[in-house]
Amino acid sequence: MPWPKACATSWWLAEETTVSEDRSGTANGQEGPRVPPVLPPPLSTGLSALPVSGRLHQLTLLIATVRAIKGLALPAIVVFLSGGGRIFGMLILMVLAVALLVAVVRYFTFSYRIEGGDLITRQGLLSRKERHIPLVRVQDLRFEAGPVHRLLGVVDVHVETAGAVGIEAELSVLARKVAEDLRQAVFARTGRSSEAKADLRQDGDLLGSLRLRDLVVEGLTSNRAASILVLVGAGMGLIDNVVPRPVQQEWFERVGRGATIWFSEANPARWQEIGFAVLAVLLLSIVFSVGGSILLFHGFTLLRRGEDLYRSYGLLTRRASSLPRRRLQVVQITEPWLRRLFGLAAVRADTAARKSGGEEEKRGGRDVLLPLVRRKELANLIPVFLPDAGPEPERWERVARCAIRRATLKGMIVCLFLVLALLLGPLREAVWPGGLHAFWPLALVPVLYWINRRNYAHLGYADGGTAFRTRRGWLSRATHIVPVRNLQVVVLRQTPFDRRHGVWTLKLDTAGQAFTGGGPMLRNVPDAEAHRLAGALADRAARTQYRV
Amino acid sequence: MNQEDAIRDDQPGQEERPYSPLDERVIPYWRLSGAVGWIIPMLLLFGLAIGVGGAVFGHLRLSLFLWAAWGVGVIFWTWWYPPRAYAAWGYRRDGKVLELRSGVWFRVVRLLPLSRLQHVDLQRGPLERWFGLASLVLYTAGTQEAAIGIPGLPDAVAQSLRDELVACGGDDGV
Repeated sequence: MPWPKACATSWWLAEETTVSEDRSGTANGQEGPRVPPVLPPPLSTGLSALPVSGRLHQLTLLIATVRAIKGLALPAIVVFLSGGGRIFGMLILMVLAVALLVAVVRYFTFSYRIEGGDLITRQGLLSRKERHIPLVRVQDLRFEAGPVHRLLGVVDVHVETAGAVGIEAELSVLARKVAEDLRQAVFARTGRSSEAKADLRQDGDLLGSLRLRDLVVEGLTSNRAASILVLVGAGMGLIDNVVPRPVQQEWFERVGRGATIWFSEANPARWQEIGFAVLAVLLLSIVFSVGGSILLFHGFTLLRRGEDLYRSYGLLTRRASSLPRRRLQVVQITEPWLRRLFGLAAVRADTAARKSGGEEEKRGGRDVLLPLVRRKELANLIPVFLPDAGPEPERWERVARCAIRRATLKGMIVCLFLVLALLLGPLREAVWPGGLHAFWPLALVPVLYWINRRNYAHLGYADGGTAFRTRRGWLSRATHIVPVRNLQVVVLRQTPFDRRHGVWTLKLDTAGQAFTGGGPMLRNVPDAEAHRLAGALADRAARTQYRV
Repeated sequence: MNQEDAIRDDQPGQEERPYSPLDERVIPYWRLSGAVGWIIPMLLLFGLAIGVGGAVFGHLRLSLFLWAAWGVGVIFWTWWYPPRAYAAWGYRRDGKVLELRSGVWFRVVRLLPLSRLQHVDLQRGPLERWFGLASLVLYTAGTQEAAIGIPGLPDAVAQSLRDELVACGGDDGV
């Protein structure tokens, strides 16, 4: 049978070198890229007249077999090793046969076509199932190709729509060329105006790409163990600089004595072993997170043509998705403290599709729009993602000052519980026979107060007319941007404690909320301001149209 | 009422539409539905308290006391709470925004831009029908607040409100 040749020009399978080595244009974040990256082929505007229809690729059977064998490999090995006998072996073969049968039925009965603005899939042997997906509701069209797929030149196509939980339609597998045609057909017909069509013919803008070095940084800075190491190192350095040596010696001895009492049978040799083991685990976890980051995001590119954003990434399993930017509901910029040191951030975004896989999605890298980006470049990028976002605000409004006191009070209660646990818990005899030492958690309260003050200084919101922003966090920061046209409901809540302080919690509800944790939430907004703000936002939202 | 004044005072200077209350019949309706929902488990638990607590474990007095304490709570919720919940409930339409407030201790104010309305359900359970009441459920594309209910409306009011809201929200050309 005629297998399709691997399509070397397919945009999302392009090798990394062609795309990302030249970043001279984007390096300073001011001008656009000079060298056009590998692009998805421009959508031909006359395409809408052509009928698009087809069936699955013949290799569906092979791919399904490979998948079934992969899934059954582990149980088969277990059965083989445990000498599990013939019955289990037969069972595994039967499962394999059933999986193959399902694949055969799917291959012979599955068909799709685009007709009258709908993507229609048909499937089923006994009970025919026909599904009509209006093209205007397609949120995200994703291609996924594992190593086997890539070898054979085929892809899995996932269609995601608003409101559906998870994948609305799965076309597994199609030839690359066919999938590309389908993508063109879907996005050529999502009802664009004529100027948008003209826009489609020009080349896209490269919004972001990651080189190997970026991936290493991504892996390092997303790793908690790495953060701990950096923190410990910095702390040691600080102590070394500030505290005189003799005092340090005394500290170490004291800690050593305390620890000796704690682990009564401890000896120095074992301590070293434990230390090395901990260090090894830390280093291993760093290696894993860097390796995982390279596997997942190798050759990452994000580019835009007209109204659509295209993402492609992956070393072994290559993933690509295209989504219209107006489908972005909320954009979240996260800056963990380690990344902030380097001036880096990650950008997440929600589409109107509901959460599906959770962890699975994260492993697929779908939760991040841009895994790593320089903070400076965001000023130019955010208006591309959200044309309504407006400029970054110069002034952030603050919530009521009681936020500091209330947060500290919460921390104090936790500290008090800690004291109680130390006084009454099983450790009271073993650790601190004196009893007074159990009160050390209270020493944290001033620190908590100070941290809460810093947090309060960096907590703020800005109502920019067409978009609403919040930011929070002193060391690690998170910024939410939600266009007013995406607001669904504005909610004010007040607990009895809030009432005593005369404040409300403002929450903006939006569609989707799979990856960013939803729209912004602001605690401790003063009474009058909360009602004014909520009323203004709802009123403005009512005058705009929500389009998915 | 006191609460109503407080909320109105929040936005001085503006001409405020007053909140429309629910139908007063919702109080007996809540009491009755609460009683129906609670009395059967109460009786079952009474049997359990005497049978298991008393006969099996020999703590008759303690289990009866626990049962009574729980019963006081139930009476509190079915008798004391509904009038307060009724007083806290209110809704008003201000231009293209529907504002709902509720909650006795934990207060909630929801502002729904009517152009975001996806569809409206009108529900009438058997007990509600008996009291001549109906409730509306307003659906948006949101996540946590995807379905917002307004309970205890008089039948006719619920229907006219539904038509009004749909007509007001329907001109969004999605």
